[in-house]
Amino acid sequence: MNLRRILSLAWKDTLHLRHDWWLPAFMLLGGAMELLLIGWATSRPVTNLPLMVLDGDQSRASRTFVSAVMNTGTFVLEDYVRDEVAIREALARGTIYAAVIIPPGYAEQIIRGESTIAVLLNGAESIPATEALRAIEGVSSELGLAIMLERMGLDPQDVEGFLPSLRVWFNESLSEAYYTTPAELGLMMEFTVLLFAALSFSRERELGTLEQLLVMPYSRLELIVGKSIPVIAIGFIDFLLMLGVVHFFFDVPIRGSLFLLLILALGYILVELGKGMVISVVSRTQHQAFLLVLLVGMVDFMFTGYAAPVESMPAILQYLANIVPAQHWLEIVRGIMLKASDLRVLWPQIVALIVLGLFIGTFSFRYVRRALY
Amino acid sequence: MAFRHLMAVARKELAHILRDGWTLSLVLFTPLLVLILMAYALSADIQHVPIAVLDRDRSPASRTFVAQITAGDDLELYATVEDLGAVEDLFTRGEIKGALIIAPTFAADVASLKGMPIQIIIDGTEPETGGFAVEQIGRRAAEFANAAIVNQLAGAAGESLQTIDLRVRAWYNPSLEPRVDLIPGLISLVLAFPALSAALTLAREREHGTLEQLLATPIGRGDLLLGKIVPYIIVGLINVILITAVARVWFRVPFNGNFALYFGLSALFMFAALSMGVLVGMFMRTQAAALALSFLLLFFPAFFLTGIFFPIVAMPEIARLEAMGLPGTHYAIITRGVFLPGVGIEVLWPYAVMLIFLGVVFTALAALFFRKKIG
Repeated sequence: MNLRRILSLAWKDTLHLRHDWWLPAFMLLGGAMELLLIGWATSRPVTNLPLMVLDGDQSRASRTFVSAVMNTGTFVLEDYVRDEVAIREALARGTIYAAVIIPPGYAEQIIRGESTIAVLLNGAESIPATEALRAIEGVSSELGLAIMLERMGLDPQDVEGFLPSLRVWFNESLSEAYYTTPAELGLMMEFTVLLFAALSFSRERELGTLEQLLVMPYSRLELIVGKSIPVIAIGFIDFLLMLGVVHFFFDVPIRGSLFLLLILALGYILVELGKGMVISVVSRTQHQAFLLVLLVGMVDFMFTGYAAPVESMPAILQYLANIVPAQHWLEIVRGIMLKASDLRVLWPQIVALIVLGLFIGTFSFRYVRRALY
Repeated sequence: MAFRHLMAVARKELAHILRDGWTLSLVLFTPLLVLILMAYALSADIQHVPIAVLDRDRSPASRTFVAQITAGDDLELYATVEDLGAVEDLFTRGEIKGALIIAPTFAADVASLKGMPIQIIIDGTEPETGGFAVEQIGRRAAEFANAAIVNQLAGAAGESLQTIDLRVRAWYNPSLEPRVDLIPGLISLVLAFPALSAALTLAREREHGTLEQLLATPIGRGDLLLGKIVPYIIVGLINVILITAVARVWFRVPFNGNFALYFGLSALFMFAALSMGVLVGMFMRTQAAALALSFLLLFFPAFFLTGIFFPIVAMPEIARLEAMGLPGTHYAIITRGVFLPGVGIEVLWPYAVMLIFLGVVFTALAALFFRKKIG
């Protein structure tokens, strides 16, 4: 190990970046900007879903129901229609997500307590459809309760106590940015580090300059360390910038220790670096390295719980999720930022990251060293 | 434009892909593998959500209530705790997603119809499971309250509190199973992978210094650009067949439309997506930079903005505009339309026109910038 030699190699790689200034510029600023846009677009409740109404009753009761549905804010009224054919067509075209059909005689039925309202959903997009159903169900049970109580001669206030009170911890205002942006932040950093690390040796190999590097008086260790430094630096700066975006633009608090978060971010970068380095030496071209990053990154993404909760996956996948560093990392980011978690709470995740890091690091170092010929 | 020239470039590019089996299998199977993984992970039903119960009443009524709440597969009684501090601790550790607090007056209040003093707490950092827990607890609590009220009010015996009966029918996907519509949606995502590869090809020629050689040949710029795209269209279309087969046979997603139409529209999508890839890659001198840029401009937006996970209508104006410029948005609508309602060209033509339009615009821009930057 010779520090000067390592730094000279790191400097050479940094020069590459400067020569191709688009690369760091896009990775750093572009990442933050993209996070801004994506966070902004996805961190809001589902609204504006087009809804069709077929009001066969045209009574005060039916209009009350429709306006209560519109008041949920989930929908925009696409149209009042006269028959089901129009609804059928709109559903097939995918121009509406839901339709409410109120039968003739609804006003009388409701007094007898046996009214039916049909709800048609566009199952071709189940996420907004589920959201739409939730809103309509809420309206129907609220209205239903009110009507029932009126019929029984009870004051609605009497039974208010039967509604459970709800409290949301760590995210009192139910801001969606709170749970989407920290995860997006963690994931984008992972992709950045993996990609840069994966390109480090595959690029030299593809361009035929790896042999030149190998005949220089660098030891294998020096080569690996020198190649790693720019990757770590970029990953970390990227993280800082994106953290700034999440904190200042989306007002997501950092309730725990910022220092701990930064230390762990650095540690996590090292773990992903190990994976990226292995990809970088098994690939003969940058194209291959890139495709492998995509594959590995997407597998990680699936196990982070961002898109679907890990508890609901099949048991085998749940065990597998434990060996995915990104999963522990997201737990840490969310914990420190939103729950003010400290070492006392986060130690299992940290230990898991350290164990995985040691394992991946040792394997990757030995593998990369052997592969560099 | 000369067809012979175009094919020559395409043949050369195809040779790059076929030359070594590693690249070929990666290009062919990455989309398929990612689709299978995502389908498995995303389509699981939410169940076994761990909750804690703090029962301050300890009456037979409250115990019955707790038993009723945790009877199903969806909620799992993770712990019965003694005080709020323990609840907070479990939440901070992430061991529970929801908690149910029962007040000391529970049995008395329910019996005298004063109300049901319970509180539900959820973890706001994981709203999906938290919201699910609230829904399930709320539903069972309402049933419980309903039974209690009906029991007490002898005059209303046998009635239910629910006067409006909602008859819900979800078309094309009766049980609203996410797998059924997410898989067609995801196809548009994984088929964007070849576009990422295409973004690399021009940058590769520049990085290796072979672009000048290509330019010195009588091959026109349009031929060169299209020739770079054609092999990846072929790869993409092979993927379409593989993926449709897997979706149909393995995941049992219904395919109600016309496959020939779908295949043709897929070709249009590949054309649009790949010309976007080539355009993005055009500005970069190295593959690394082309990659970084295409990740930002092709991959992340394809993920979040094409309406697969989040409906486009609910996005802000600017994001919606960006979504309209992404071929994946239109293709996602096409795939879902062909797979589930099984609609034909009479419904899908606007999206097909948009794909052609985007493809032509991207190719034209690429040719324009090509002349300026390189030619």
